[in-house]
Amino acid sequence: MGKVCVITGASQGIGRAAAIEMSKREDVDVVVLIARSADGLAGTVSAMGDRAKIHQLPYDLSDLDGIPSLVEDICREHGGIDLLLNVAGYADPRSLLDTTADNLVQTFTINVFAMLILIREMARFSDGRPAKILNVASTAGITPRPGWVAYAASKAAVVSLSATLAEELAGSGIKIYTISPGRTATELRRKLAPDEDPTSIMQPEQVARVIRTLLSDDELTLDGQNIIVRQQL
Amino acid sequence: MRTGMVVLGGGIGRRIGRPVPKQFLLLGGKPIIIHVLEKVRAIAEIEDVVVTCPASHLEATQQLIENHRLGSRFRCVVGGGTRQESTYLGLEALGDGIDLAIIHEAVRPLVSTDDFRRLIETPDENVIYGIPIPFTVLKGHDHVEGLLERDELVNVQLPQKFDRARLLEAHRAARADGVEFTEDASLFFKYTGEPVRILPGSDVNIKITVPTDTVIAEAIYADLIGRRTR
Repeated sequence: MGKVCVITGASQGIGRAAAIEMSKREDVDVVVLIARSADGLAGTVSAMGDRAKIHQLPYDLSDLDGIPSLVEDICREHGGIDLLLNVAGYADPRSLLDTTADNLVQTFTINVFAMLILIREMARFSDGRPAKILNVASTAGITPRPGWVAYAASKAAVVSLSATLAEELAGSGIKIYTISPGRTATELRRKLAPDEDPTSIMQPEQVARVIRTLLSDDELTLDGQNIIVRQQL
Repeated sequence: MRTGMVVLGGGIGRRIGRPVPKQFLLLGGKPIIIHVLEKVRAIAEIEDVVVTCPASHLEATQQLIENHRLGSRFRCVVGGGTRQESTYLGLEALGDGIDLAIIHEAVRPLVSTDDFRRLIETPDENVIYGIPIPFTVLKGHDHVEGLLERDELVNVQLPQKFDRARLLEAHRAARADGVEFTEDASLFFKYTGEPVRILPGSDVNIKITVPTDTVIAEAIYADLIGRRTR
């Protein structure tokens, strides 16, 4: 029986690239794609090939209350989750004095709270089933980024929660991986650095290959660490 | 033979020196009692699991069982005023068809699934775990009053397995006599005189009683899950 892989933020950027990469794995039978945009999901599916069964789930992760039943439905339909990729991210960069409560709440809701609830529900339904979770943080979470306070703080929270849960779940069969990509040519990056030439920085496909390696059965030693993914120029 | 289990989570935990009952303290980020119940969940042969708890913590315990999706085999009953009374109530609460009862304490979180399996697989009906006593023990309080041969003694551990009906009879006899025991092998042996098999126990299966025990348990747990930092 092949693995069930769930990917959030699967409509574009790293999420889409990861979906394409994971669908190539011989041991993955089902890829569940979650994102707000149904059109974006359709675009991802069209790039994925037809080896794995693909399940599209248009869902807005800012609806935290609906996440438990979302996870329960996935587990019921596919028998559980083996690989969870928390890629969905939100950024609306603003200086301190321009930052609003709504901006802070929305950023943390998508980047932190939704991720935590997804992990909680997956752990709740795991029943001892071995699994891997990969959380996408950012180098913005470990170095100062003036003007990106909400985003940077939320990614710091991802690094922290991932390290904490890696310890807490260590005996459960669930391994937690964290990657912090540096500058990557995504839609989100375009919001953060609109003047940057996207061809001059790391591409989502490069990050996706790192994800694929970390989530392979052979990788057993890098969980619980914040792994920096940077293109060395 | 059908097997059930009583998990003793009935103490308020005054000796640990903290306001939260010790079975709810976190070990490796998880409530101590959950460490036990998760291991039991993995053993389908244990058909019925009764968790005794103080009335004040019944709801909290039920909520933990729900949060961790332990399933319908697990249920809570209010324990008694003493450990012995809680055991008796737990034994009575087990389902009618249960022949063998495993007794365990919520505050022994480092028990392994294999510890439960070995009890079940041992053909004897009455089985406990014991480990040698590595230190010298003497009788006495303010003064030495007598010697004890440690080679003749055993440090009794849980979990334990008993013929449920016979253990209940022994409990009723002890209740009638007004005698309190600190665990069930003593009570069972005293009132039935029947053989109780001792299996080799484990050094890591410690009981969390005093605050230092939580420090020790954290260190053992970190080692067990491969998270030791030194």
